[in-house]
Amino acid sequence: MTEAAPNPVTAVMRALADPTRRAVFERVFDNKEISVAELTRGSGVTQGAISQHLKSLKQAGLVAERAEGRNVYYRASPQGLKPLVTWMDHYGVFWRERFENLRDLLKEIDP
Amino acid sequence: MSAAALNAETRDIVLDDVFPHAPETIWKALTSAQLIARWLMPPTGFEAVEGNTFTYQTKPGGNWDGVIHCRVLEVVPFRRLVYAWKGGDERNVGYGAPLDTVVTWSLTPVEAGTRIQLVHAGFALPRNESAYTIMSGGWKKVVRQLDEISGEDS
Repeated sequence: MTEAAPNPVTAVMRALADPTRRAVFERVFDNKEISVAELTRGSGVTQGAISQHLKSLKQAGLVAERAEGRNVYYRASPQGLKPLVTWMDHYGVFWRERFENLRDLLKEIDP
Repeated sequence: MSAAALNAETRDIVLDDVFPHAPETIWKALTSAQLIARWLMPPTGFEAVEGNTFTYQTKPGGNWDGVIHCRVLEVVPFRRLVYAWKGGDERNVGYGAPLDTVVTWSLTPVEAGTRIQLVHAGFALPRNESAYTIMSGGWKKVVRQLDEISGEDS
C-alpha cells in the first residue's frame, strides 16, 4: 500500500471491479439496511470474506455502517459514486446548451 | 426540444434531434473554426482533417489548466465527425479529474432536414476493464438513486 490518497474515482472503480464485492454492494443497495449475517446467508462465501468486502466498500465511501448491540448493519451510500458522475453532469449540461446554440446559429445562417 | 439522455449502460451523453437544415449546412457549422467559435468555443488549431490536433480553453479546475486536447479521429464529409476529447489532471477529483473521451457527430438526411446525433462517450475509465465490469451490472440500480443525491445537494 504505497498510495497515500488514491483518487476517489479510482477507489470507487476498484471497489466495484470485483464481481463478488459488486454483488455485495448491490444486495446492500436493494435493502434499506442489512447485517453481515444476512449478507452471508446464501452468498456462497464466508462471513469473513463478506466483512472484508464491506470494509473495502466502506473505504470507497459506498456503504455506511451502524452498530446495534452485537450486530452491525450496512446501508448503501450512493454519494460515494458522485466522483464518477461529476464530469458527465458537467458535459450533460454543456452539450445541451451548445446544441441549442448550434440550432440558433443554423437558424441565423440558413433561415 | 432536443432529446438529451445520460445513457446509464454505457455512460455516454447522447443528444439526438432533427434540425431543419441540409447536412451540408450543419457540416459547415461543425467544421468551420469561425462557426464553431460561435456556438461551441473558439478552437485553437482546428482543421477537419484526420490526425489534426486542436485545443479548447475551458475553465481550469484544481491542478488542471482547463485545456481540452482534441484529435480528429474520423472525417466523413457531411456525415460523420469524430474527435478525441481529453483533459484533466490525475491529482484532481470531480471537475478537473482525468478525462479521456470521444465526441462523435453523426448527420443523417431525413425528410424534415437532418438528424443530428451527438455522442460524448467514454466517461470514467474507458480503457479500464473494471469500468466495463461496473457497466455490465449494478450500474442501473445505482443510477436509480442518483436523483436522490442531487436532491440532497439542492
